[in-house]
Amino acid sequence: MISLNVNQKTYQVDVDPNMPLLWVIRDIIGLTGTKYGCGVAQCGACTVHLNGEAVRSCVTKVSRAEGQKIVTIEGLSANNDHPVQRAWQEIDVPQCGYCHSGQIMSAAVLLRENPNPTDQDIDEAMSGNICRCGTYLRIRKAIHIAAEMQKTKSNTGQTKNSVSPVKI
Amino acid sequence: MKLHSEIKSHNYLPGKTMIVLTLVFSMIALTSSMKYKSDFHMSDTADGVKKDSIESVKAFMKVYEVLMSPRCMNCHPAGDAPLQGDDNHVHTMNVVRGPDGTGLYAAKCSNCHQPTNVPGLHTPPGNPKWQLPPANMKMVFQGKSPRQLALQIMNYNLNGHRNKAQLLEHSKDTLVKVAWNMGEGRTPPPMSYSAFVNVWNEWINKGGYAPKQ
Amino acid sequence: MIQVSRRRFIKNAGGAGIALWLGINVRGNTIIATNIIESGNFTPYILVESGGAITIFNTKPEMGQGTFQSIPAIIAEEFEVSLDQVTIKNTNGEKPFGNRQRAGGSSSIRTNYTDLRKVGASAKEVFIKAASARWQADESDCYAENGKVFHKPTNRTFTYGELVADASKLELPKEPKLKDPKDFRILGKMAKRPDVPLKTNGSAQFGIDVQVPGMLYATVARSPVIGGTLKSFDASETLKIPGVEKVVQVERIMGRYHSVGVAVIAKSYWIALKARKTLKIEWDNKGYENFNSVDYEKHLRELSREEGVLDKTIGSVDSLNLPPEKNVEAFYETPMVAHHTLEPINCVAQVRGDQVEIWTSTQVPSSITGSGENDVHKYIGFMPDNIKLHSTFVGGGLGRRLNVDYVIEAVGIAKNLSQPVKVLWSREDTTELGPYRPMTFSQLKGGFSEDGKLISFQHKVISPSFQEAMNPAYDIKKVDGTMVEGIGEQAYEIPNLKTSYVRADFHVPVAAWRSVTSSTLAFCHECFIDELAYKANKDPMNFRLELLSKPSDLKRVLLKTREFSHWDEPLPKNRGRGMAQWEFFAGLCAQVVEVTVQPDQSIKVDKVFAVIDLGEVVNPDNVKNQVEGAIVMALGAAIKPGITLKDGKCMQHNFYDNPLIRIQEVPEIEVLILAEGGKVKGVGEPGLPAFAPALANAIYAATGDRIRKMPFDLKKV
Repeated sequence: MISLNVNQKTYQVDVDPNMPLLWVIRDIIGLTGTKYGCGVAQCGACTVHLNGEAVRSCVTKVSRAEGQKIVTIEGLSANNDHPVQRAWQEIDVPQCGYCHSGQIMSAAVLLRENPNPTDQDIDEAMSGNICRCGTYLRIRKAIHIAAEMQKTKSNTGQTKNSVSPVKI
Repeated sequence: MKLHSEIKSHNYLPGKTMIVLTLVFSMIALTSSMKYKSDFHMSDTADGVKKDSIESVKAFMKVYEVLMSPRCMNCHPAGDAPLQGDDNHVHTMNVVRGPDGTGLYAAKCSNCHQPTNVPGLHTPPGNPKWQLPPANMKMVFQGKSPRQLALQIMNYNLNGHRNKAQLLEHSKDTLVKVAWNMGEGRTPPPMSYSAFVNVWNEWINKGGYAPKQ
Repeated sequence: MIQVSRRRFIKNAGGAGIALWLGINVRGNTIIATNIIESGNFTPYILVESGGAITIFNTKPEMGQGTFQSIPAIIAEEFEVSLDQVTIKNTNGEKPFGNRQRAGGSSSIRTNYTDLRKVGASAKEVFIKAASARWQADESDCYAENGKVFHKPTNRTFTYGELVADASKLELPKEPKLKDPKDFRILGKMAKRPDVPLKTNGSAQFGIDVQVPGMLYATVARSPVIGGTLKSFDASETLKIPGVEKVVQVERIMGRYHSVGVAVIAKSYWIALKARKTLKIEWDNKGYENFNSVDYEKHLRELSREEGVLDKTIGSVDSLNLPPEKNVEAFYETPMVAHHTLEPINCVAQVRGDQVEIWTSTQVPSSITGSGENDVHKYIGFMPDNIKLHSTFVGGGLGRRLNVDYVIEAVGIAKNLSQPVKVLWSREDTTELGPYRPMTFSQLKGGFSEDGKLISFQHKVISPSFQEAMNPAYDIKKVDGTMVEGIGEQAYEIPNLKTSYVRADFHVPVAAWRSVTSSTLAFCHECFIDELAYKANKDPMNFRLELLSKPSDLKRVLLKTREFSHWDEPLPKNRGRGMAQWEFFAGLCAQVVEVTVQPDQSIKVDKVFAVIDLGEVVNPDNVKNQVEGAIVMALGAAIKPGITLKDGKCMQHNFYDNPLIRIQEVPEIEVLILAEGGKVKGVGEPGLPAFAPALANAIYAATGDRIRKMPFDLKKV
């Protein structure tokens, strides 16, 4: 049994410790917002926060995440209202939408560490996230909008603090 | 759009000897009490080994082959982005060094590079300390001639503030060793790890001489 | 002619109240009042329930192109409801929703715009009629707004829900009055897409996300030599792995391409994927193990000597006998490319007796549930009525998901199981096995008269054939129109024109890729036009406009483009500007690209101006998003390595050796939308073809280097 804390909930999962965190999150825990795109840390669709860092869950063994704090797109905010999510909605960034869980999780780390990113900062933070629909110009613009939103309203919906052990 | 504006591989050396080791010098704590550049030439002998400029330089040329191999050089780039592959192309995801060498924002080294290698071809190689040299001590290998690189390594102010003992010790660092365990499909440095340690020690112990060019 | 013509009562699912379905009849005016569920000739789009709930159905799978908003928007505009008031539902290939539940060819709006307006307008009229009857008022004193009918003189109102029972007894108007576009509240305005919030918190469900209780996971080992098939396999080691449930043979069928692989079925995808590596398989490579694309390309070059099949001819190209100095010739080459939808290919299937249930991301629900000759039922052995589909959001279609090979394969696996099974292709599977956009090679010839006028133009395409790949009945002696797409139909007035096609045999699965063959032919055609302009010593814009004496959409678009892109303002040294346009089945877009030659001689793409001609526009912001995206995709196909084969196998595997564009590579893009009435044109694809030639033409303007082969490396032009 491996104990995982995902979006402030504790899960006990009976899996091979070498299983990538991605497949545990998607297929065992059932949170499918985190996507599989390449399996080799090339595309960023599987990005989750591990202790606040934008790790690629497809190459992260579940054992690395044991007892650590994991946040997925479902847990980024309680009401789909993290500044990055709101900015994404404000200018309709996604097209097919498949990559955007990962894009948003990466952008959230960028904005936490750099509240005023330049275009270059954005490029350096976001180049690990591929968007096949090519929404990159909007991603850049939305991050600037989110930076402004973050300044005017710092409180964003936080996931409710619940710890409910779930047996899988 | 800033395609290709980052780094050009300067092939100062024949392709054959362009090789890599990664992150050799970045990690050792700055514990030295040394205030001055280098103590290599302060005594005639070291550990009972006589200084010998010819033998020392000869050893360094072998060290150089390793340091310029893709497994080493890719994380000692001339610019601020690491390199990838046996062709030393700029890291695909446009990642950058960051102040402490561990990357920036959503593109930190350990976001993809795990404590151990990921199985399979073209997966991120792993090491618990994976990083580039920090911004204030870049320890560039790429583009350096043998003389330039030897002088840089011998220079206390450019080598991560390492004295001779620390340099000798450095060959045992996990980020040096990782060059010989880079995951599937990556060409290893051109000699074994133990052979590397031998020529490294020989170069330093015989005086740490720099080649003429 | 499609008529708005029918409404039906049906009971609500829960049996409470009455519901009114309104839609269009796809077979003309003869309507029979049968039970809607059994009627195949009526496509309902609106459902109004007596409780007030309004549902609008979207029959075009949402794959990023925006139909989840744009289709309902057209109906809602005329029906006088706001999109906030309605529930939008994607259809799932159900028979009552007709046989056009498919998204492809940028056709969703351009082929439905007026019909969908009529659906909304006639629905509105019937509710107004019902209300005026209840009030015993004059219809002309009533109007509809926000899902209600108002009686102007008395300010009385009814909601549509309150009128369902009355409205359902009335005949629908056959030719409803459509709104004056100046009164539009939704169409042509910036509007938020309702699928976007679902895509910012992980709640949008794609095929890959489907979870069915008891579901198993499967991965398939398929012949790495394309064209090969299974000879024998030994799964004894595989079956020992904990979590592995079964190993079965399964066939993948895609047009003329058939191949048997080995499926590993396990409790988790990861276990299945690991276990797959332990299979011992012998493949029958059928001689394809020596195939390589370098030799194949040589073969295509040799084939260019053949006359081929005539596509179109005007005047008499062959009898002009122009002197050599008046002739220009060039040969252009383009690569195979992969679709790389970011959602890897997947399908969930469950077989229960003679019934099959399918959950998947597809562009073609109607092909999965339909009874057509090449529909899925033919390959899986189930009656069309026994196929139930759940069509999800699509994580990229790009033409790949017009094909149903992966659905047939998933059903083939599910037949071995009592549980549902999710079949997931890894990124490597998706990259290595095709289908691919085929390469096209082009031989081009132009001829000038004594006074320097372009009087002759020939374009011969040499390539594999889509038709041959997909349609067993294709007669190879005839031209494959898809492979010469657009080249005979450009608006340029050239008195002698000849377009032709040389078919090359190809065993590799090929498929339409966003903007289909225009994605390669526009590059060849429009770069060559540029070559001719320079040969004639003319500005490329002027040269094109001089070939357009008559009024045409293209002429109008180019004149706008000239202005929008500041074409006539000189650029500093080391910079260059190029243009191209492409008009094809999907629509029309012209582009100007600006580049800079950097100190290290590499090329930086600075800016793209795109002018897209639409006739009518539904959601301008979505159009801009689509054009921006199409340009990024076109940039990738122009400058990133394509797909190559060696020893019969695909040499690319994943994004590390078949890279896509990343954020730092994207130029500034400005989009101008022309919606000036006239023919309604498509949005999804037209932004793509003109980009590569405009870029190559810009590089020529900046450097003097003429690029005749895609992909090209911006570092070393």
